[in-house]
Amino acid sequence: MRRSLKVPTVMALGLFAALAAAAAFSSAEVSYRSAEQDGKRVAEVLIGERSVIVLLTSAGGYRPLERAEIVANRLRAALTSDIRPEEVTVSSVPSGAGLNIRDQLIVAIYPTEANAHGATPTALARLWRDNILAAVGQPPAPELPQEQPAAEPAQPAPQEQPAEQPATESAAAKESEDVDWTGTAQKWVPIISVEQGGLSIGAAQIAGPPSQVNQVKAVAELRLTFRNIGRIYAYIPVRTLSVTKLDRVQGVSVWATGDVRLVNF
Amino acid sequence: MTMKRVIAVLVMVALLGGGLAAMNAWAIDLGDILKVGGIAFLVSQYDKELDTFISSALGERGAAAKGATKVVPILSLGGGGYIGAAQVVGNPENVKSVKAVFQVEGRIGSFTPRILVPTTTDKVTGSPDRAKGVGVSAVIEFRI
Repeated sequence: MRRSLKVPTVMALGLFAALAAAAAFSSAEVSYRSAEQDGKRVAEVLIGERSVIVLLTSAGGYRPLERAEIVANRLRAALTSDIRPEEVTVSSVPSGAGLNIRDQLIVAIYPTEANAHGATPTALARLWRDNILAAVGQPPAPELPQEQPAAEPAQPAPQEQPAEQPATESAAAKESEDVDWTGTAQKWVPIISVEQGGLSIGAAQIAGPPSQVNQVKAVAELRLTFRNIGRIYAYIPVRTLSVTKLDRVQGVSVWATGDVRLVNF
Repeated sequence: MTMKRVIAVLVMVALLGGGLAAMNAWAIDLGDILKVGGIAFLVSQYDKELDTFISSALGERGAAAKGATKVVPILSLGGGGYIGAAQVVGNPENVKSVKAVFQVEGRIGSFTPRILVPTTTDKVTGSPDRAKGVGVSAVIEFRI
């Protein structure tokens, strides 16, 4: 009787230990919090106990803590499997720099945020990249020199070579030139609302190169408020009817919009 | 005497009513003028900030356009005034030359299309020439 109980007990304990180890190793260690730094409220993204990203400014209508939550969610999803140093990259986005893990954008850094850290967007993205790599036990990527912004609580990095920034800017310009916006193929697609979970709210005529226009399934409409003086309707041509992840088709823009009046008053 | 008083009162009421109506019409015109001027001022004042704001909002969502962008006023082709602003997107050299977006509204049954034409001029004269390789990525309405 005793022997027959021993086997299931050992198996259960083994399973429990395996689950506990998996939980400890999983992405659950990514978190975010509001903190105080030099007398100012900031938002931190942490891996374990280590602060890897510190957000000081609002962007895109989100406050620092809201941005930290979004960044933490993206980071948590990206860290569900092991990452290699070359998979954590810094790219250029219009007017700023992006920090990516594989193909997923983790955080976009614009001049306002970078200035608050006393750095350039690219330098700040590289610092945060090395913070993430250090936090998961990986060495910083050796091929890209670093720039050290001021007043950053995370790991310091050596100075960036002065020649690096113009090279990045020219790369950004090249990226813009690589996308062809000159085609004149057109079609009408539904406008779906990001705020209303993909509800169709009208139609848009899109235009661009035929190969890109063919890929567009809808135009996602994102509503933003600018300083209480302006309401912005941003139009994003997308490949899918899902608004949870906006899969933009580059090279396509909006030429016209249209509403259908169901009731005339 | 009484009849004269009644006529005098009626004339005064008529004059006062006419004056108020004229003032009301003038106020509407002035409101429109202020609105058009206000939009022109806001666009010139906040164009770069709006451009960065929209690009960063889209960048936060991984949906930024890989092209040059710029915020320009929207001119109503029928109304002839500034009615808002638009962020245009496209090839850098083409975007640089865009000065305004002309808006043409129509109606086909219950369907009301709004055509947005980025142009290299900000004067409403004849039919607008569309700037090549440029489209609209956002429309901005001002609360005035």
